Amino acid sequence: MDFSYSSENQKFRDELRSWLRQNLPTGWGATTFEPEDEDEYARFRLDWERKLYRGGWNGIAWPEKYGGRGATLIEQAIFAEEMALAKAPEGLNIIGRNLVATTLFHHGSEAQRERYLPKIISGEEVWCQGFSEPNAGSDLASLKCRAIRDGDHFIVNGQKVWTSFAQYAQWCILLARTDAAAPKHRGISFLLVDMRTPGITIRPLKQISGENEFNETFFDDVRVPAENLVGELNNGWKIAMTTLAYERGPEDALGRQIRFKQELELLLRSARTLKRGSKTAIDDPVLRQKLAKSIVEIEIMRLNCLRSFSKVLKGAARGAEASINKLYWSHATQTMYETALETLGPLATVAGGDPVAVAGGRFQLGFLRSRAFTIYSGSSEIQRNIIAERVLGLQK
Amino acid sequence: MDFDFSPEQYMFQESVRTFLAQRFDGAKARALTEHDGGGEPLWHGLRDLGIFSMLVPEAFGGLGLSLVDLALPLEEFGRALVPPSIGETIAATDLLVQYATDEQRARLLPQISQGELTVVNALLETQADFSPNSMSLAAVASGNGWSVSGTKILVPYAKHADLILVALRFGDSGSLGFAAVEPNRRGISLRAHTSIDVANGYYEVMFDDTPLVREDIVGGEPIADSVWRVFDVGGLVSATQMSGIAAKMLDASIIYARQRSQFGSPIGSFQAIKHRCADMAVSIDASRSAAYYAAWALSDRSQDSPRAVSIAKSYCGDAARYVCNESIQIHGGVGFTWELGLHYYLRRAKTLEYLYGDASYHRERVLAMTLAQLDAEGVD
Repeated sequence: MDFSYSSENQKFRDELRSWLRQNLPTGWGATTFEPEDEDEYARFRLDWERKLYRGGWNGIAWPEKYGGRGATLIEQAIFAEEMALAKAPEGLNIIGRNLVATTLFHHGSEAQRERYLPKIISGEEVWCQGFSEPNAGSDLASLKCRAIRDGDHFIVNGQKVWTSFAQYAQWCILLARTDAAAPKHRGISFLLVDMRTPGITIRPLKQISGENEFNETFFDDVRVPAENLVGELNNGWKIAMTTLAYERGPEDALGRQIRFKQELELLLRSARTLKRGSKTAIDDPVLRQKLAKSIVEIEIMRLNCLRSFSKVLKGAARGAEASINKLYWSHATQTMYETALETLGPLATVAGGDPVAVAGGRFQLGFLRSRAFTIYSGSSEIQRNIIAERVLGLQK
Repeated sequence: MDFDFSPEQYMFQESVRTFLAQRFDGAKARALTEHDGGGEPLWHGLRDLGIFSMLVPEAFGGLGLSLVDLALPLEEFGRALVPPSIGETIAATDLLVQYATDEQRARLLPQISQGELTVVNALLETQADFSPNSMSLAAVASGNGWSVSGTKILVPYAKHADLILVALRFGDSGSLGFAAVEPNRRGISLRAHTSIDVANGYYEVMFDDTPLVREDIVGGEPIADSVWRVFDVGGLVSATQMSGIAAKMLDASIIYARQRSQFGSPIGSFQAIKHRCADMAVSIDASRSAAYYAAWALSDRSQDSPRAVSIAKSYCGDAARYVCNESIQIHGGVGFTWELGLHYYLRRAKTLEYLYGDASYHRERVLAMTLAQLDAEGVD
């Protein structure tokens, strides 16, 4: 057991830290903040991603051949930590950088890698993910969107939903049914679709947070060149499983933990200044217990990440244990946001934009956003099934 | 960066588990309800495995290992419901290594290393809360030493211990420190408690003008930090054992849910049961993260160690309570029978939950330390 980093890792951290100091906007986090308008914010995130690329800090995990640094897992974790510590914006092309790239590394042809990867890492082409459908959520393999071969093209018809960033994306990874007669897992193919192709319609979906990150996407006789098939025909389910295994690794989780910890620290500072008559919120013994519970749970989130991360470093497969971490952090952070609103007392419901809102209304926004944590990337119910069946060995 | 145990540490855990499964299963724990204390074969077996010499420095005939090396064995102690006197002796060993005088170390550590000395800790009082700061039992100056009159409660296996480490307030300053006394010293009488933890013996230890000399004081003079150290190491020892109990209860639930059939299917195939088991697994995994980190923090004497212990003690306490309750629920009616024996684990977990500070006490301590840390950072 050893919690120290090698001097080489430390050097990497210092180099990144000084690059961030020089390249984040002046007064970042103090006087300069993320734009409030969503479209403006998306452009800001893309610009930031392009800046990272120019500095050699985008897609660091990628092999050098494709413009990455071939960063080790430890370096990836340090990267996630430092970005979080600097409160740096997240890039916009998360799906391209993580999901598409990983899929192409494992299953793409060399021609596909050469065509798509350079424009992902440079931030020229943004990607979205067309997996879920209105009737294929947790039961993703029952998806109905069809792709029928027509000469050297596929003709795609169907609907996708929860397509994050579709409004900013030039490309989409699409799961479509290519053999309706085969068992449901064996008739799906993995396609790369140009979002500018005629027949694609995007309709924004407003989320409970008031934001509009995701969309409904409709495909009407969309022609996709046959060379855009990834891997073999009807083997898309297996490919998608690789994609999802890399959706959120323990190295990213360390960064996520830091961002939640920052929220919690802000909450603690707010609790000390919020007046409750002659006392402050932090004097309330019931609240103290709840705040402490969140401190404990958020700290354990870090420790869980470090434990899984240490196992992955030693070569352990990214397996069902990821479900244990996901189930843990999603519920722990939901609890934290509920406590946050409780801490604000009578000001609990006063949201961003109101002059008396606490901390610019970020806790209300965080609370509303947090409802998604136990749904996306596999709902808690699906995670529990995975844990029960694959880790604990209970019968299907 | 490596938050994991070494292959050797896992192998040692396996040896401890195998030994305990062969020699000290649930049935043996039941036997202990009939004649309290005891377990000589167990004690000797653990001695042969080297448990008692692990924390003892090589200079005193020990192995010079750390609490990290003991984390997995302690988890096994929980799983097998070994008497708490073993964990107590481990916490006391740490105290002696860290704070005792050279003379005390030379006298006591070799005996501990050879498994010849059972040492238990006496901290709790009827009128105090969980914090050592609220203890009031005093050592009053008398002649060349001190005299103690009053009571400590819930001292595990006091009757069978060779030494009791009694936390006391000394002299006019009332500073905290430990005195090591034999249970048969003048003025000491013992009364067995009636405790919900039927598998072992807790004692009230009453002092009536019991004399102390300087050699009895751990470190030669009262050291308040030493009391907090035992409180923290005792908290770790309890937390790791609670993780072990919870892990054992989940194993039992899974075995039962796979075998028990209702409505024509194993109940483990129903999501109502599956999801409970998954949630139990999550809380056990998190318990381990917290307990292992606390073991490391204490071994490293990291600044962060009291906070790490409080995080572990509060989380593992809640988790063990939750998992034991769920396990009995999953077992249904048979889970409520005395005969099946799940209650022994429930009872021990409950006992450990309240030793060395309960979850609420430790949460308050975490909050206070976190706020102090934010002050130190000063950024706003």
